[in-house]
Amino acid sequence: MTTLLFVAQWVHLAQCVLLTGAFFLLLLAGWPATDFMRRWEQHVLCWARWLVIVALASGAAVLSVRTGMFEGRPEAALEPRAIWHAMLDTRPGFLWIVRHGLLIVLAAFLFLSGDVSARQNWIAARGEAFLLTALALVLIGSSGHLAASSESLWPQAIDMVHLLSAGIWVGGLPPLALLLYGASQNAAAPDPYAVQTMQRFSRVALITVLILAGSGIASAWLLVGGIAGLVGTTHGCLLLAKFAVLVLALLLAAVSRAMVPTLSSPTAAKSSATARRMAGFIAIEAGLVLVVLGLATAMTVTTPALHDDPVWPWPVRIVHDFLPVVPVLQRLTQLPIADVLAVSGLTIFAIVFLVRRRPILLFATLFALVVSGATIGFQPLIVQAYPTSFVRSPLSYTAGSIAEGMAVYQAHCASCHGTPTPDRAGGWGSAVDLLASETIWRSAGDLFWLITHGRPNLGMAEFGSRLQEAQRWHVINFLRALDMSGFCASGPSRIGAVVKQDYAWLSAPDLTISVGPLTPTSLPDLRGKRMVLLVLYSLPGSRARMTELARQYGTLSVLGVEVVAVPPQSSPEAIAELGQSPPVLFPVVTNGNQEITAAYRMFAPGTAHAEFLIDRQGYIRAIWRSDLTGMPEADVVQTQVERLNGEKSPPPLPDDHVH
Amino acid sequence: MRMWQVAILVNLALAVGLGFGYGAWGRRLATLDGEVKTAQAQVEQLTREREACFAGARIGEQLWEGRGIVRAVYPKMLIVTHEEIRGLLPARTTGFRLADSADHDRAHAGDPIRFWLQGTGTGNNVLVRLESW
Repeated sequence: MTTLLFVAQWVHLAQCVLLTGAFFLLLLAGWPATDFMRRWEQHVLCWARWLVIVALASGAAVLSVRTGMFEGRPEAALEPRAIWHAMLDTRPGFLWIVRHGLLIVLAAFLFLSGDVSARQNWIAARGEAFLLTALALVLIGSSGHLAASSESLWPQAIDMVHLLSAGIWVGGLPPLALLLYGASQNAAAPDPYAVQTMQRFSRVALITVLILAGSGIASAWLLVGGIAGLVGTTHGCLLLAKFAVLVLALLLAAVSRAMVPTLSSPTAAKSSATARRMAGFIAIEAGLVLVVLGLATAMTVTTPALHDDPVWPWPVRIVHDFLPVVPVLQRLTQLPIADVLAVSGLTIFAIVFLVRRRPILLFATLFALVVSGATIGFQPLIVQAYPTSFVRSPLSYTAGSIAEGMAVYQAHCASCHGTPTPDRAGGWGSAVDLLASETIWRSAGDLFWLITHGRPNLGMAEFGSRLQEAQRWHVINFLRALDMSGFCASGPSRIGAVVKQDYAWLSAPDLTISVGPLTPTSLPDLRGKRMVLLVLYSLPGSRARMTELARQYGTLSVLGVEVVAVPPQSSPEAIAELGQSPPVLFPVVTNGNQEITAAYRMFAPGTAHAEFLIDRQGYIRAIWRSDLTGMPEADVVQTQVERLNGEKSPPPLPDDHVH
Repeated sequence: MRMWQVAILVNLALAVGLGFGYGAWGRRLATLDGEVKTAQAQVEQLTREREACFAGARIGEQLWEGRGIVRAVYPKMLIVTHEEIRGLLPARTTGFRLADSADHDRAHAGDPIRFWLQGTGTGNNVLVRLESW
């Protein structure tokens, strides 16, 4: 079914593109003033009539095959009722009706051709035909991957601009080749109108190719996401292949463009020969871009790279997180600005001099410098990579997953890697060798590969056969939480009792706020709306603080804070145990407490009572621990909340999956 | 008819067909949707009024059912963290006045309860009955 859909879509897209380009070229050539131009126009129109019929037929095939795929039954592709349902009750179906309605009006225009001998009638007829085909073409962008990727209209607009540019450039090539071939058959010099059309097309094509490149880069950015998606997924590889064929077509286009001045040469034989050569080049160029259209169609029937798990093809990769610690870059950032300006000036002067005198020497030197500089300077950025290095975790970074990972770690990993134990400084001790920097900078996908396949050379067994895939991801979530707890306990990234304004980095693990039989909510439900003061308490030690919080709740609530209290054990009596004077009106978690406590205690190990201030975006911004900072006083939390309220630009939402 | 006139006519037909036609259809759909919602709300209100009538309420009063957890108990008021009470309140913590008939002595902080509110929905609702959830 997918192959059938691919073929039908390719044919349909090619017809729409060719129709758009043909009518654009007719408009660009202008009202046909000579017999030669009239004959050429008739050829193009005859061609367009066939194209519109094939476009309608292939469009019907696309709808039919898609219906079969929607319904999950191949036989539904031939059931009128199912096709009718797909047409009327789905967005792609509605767009299909609109687009094919436009194509039917176009077909009526082409087959019921009226008298267009007057210039204004000719402009109206060709302009109308171009408008109809262009609309039918750009509306394809409303049902593509980009339209589905976001509710914003921008991605759709980018896709539409891309399609229109492709239509004008690609679709104009075959009729242009026909025009030049016809012009080259003249014994005398080529028809001046043909030469003029070529010159105009050459200028327009340059602009459309630039727009095509810009919109193509933008859509690739939105659908591919990065290098891993580009080289490690089918969608990305198709994009690379598309780019490679496009470069070939552009090289041919550049050769043709270089011939344009010769076309209007005073020597008739030379001009005709040039026109014939150009017709040949443009025909090959048209063939190549039809292949590009095929690759673009194949991309529409594959999963976008952004939503696919990439398979990294190389044994090494570059780690961007290391960029700030590369010695060369560190030194560069410390250079005085005057020195930088002087060196830049001298470099530009040398380049200008060498470009004029010795261009080959210049480019060879530049290439050698860039390669050697990159090899030496960026060596610390290159780390070992695995096929799963860029695979995203299918499990969210939740308290439950971290707790589960902790249990799996204790059962299978701790005997070799060590058991995490809190130290006096409030963080984790050095018992766990996985806190070494080598592990911290590894991606989640790297860790997944190492856990699955082991490291036989270092004596680590494989766990692919012993742990389920979900269990391996739980362990990775636990290891990430362990890493983060190390950073937040000490050093420049330490998170203490005072909020560092505009410095949010510690993503709060997601948790379920489950109070009795009420419908549970979760931390992401509060994102963008409320801050959260997560209180891990235990009675009777925390009694006084909980009473104070119950009194303060009204004030905190007005400031935008939701207090969530978590006792160490799940119990339906948790609310009753806090008493009702003053009444405790904030949520007290009664289910899943052990998971929440286990995960959040990693950021405040060894303390009986801890409070975490989580901002509206979902980052932990302040931590109070009863053993280090004591219980926060009445107005301390309010002061920190006001600091958060004073932040001008909120940080971006944290990713729910570890990397 | 000349070709340019045909072109204008076709474009006009397309604009009317796609623009005005779709606009009018969309507005009609929105109106119908609104009417269905209003009718549903009226049916729900009538049901609540009928139930209130059976429970001995005055004309115009309704009966709402809610579920929640008791947070505090006072002689004339019960503070409850409740789920959405359809047609009356979203999920939140609310203090409800207690009717004399409500057997609130059995309620304690932390108890999950089902409760019934009676009133006209304009702030004069009272909690008339509660039972364990």
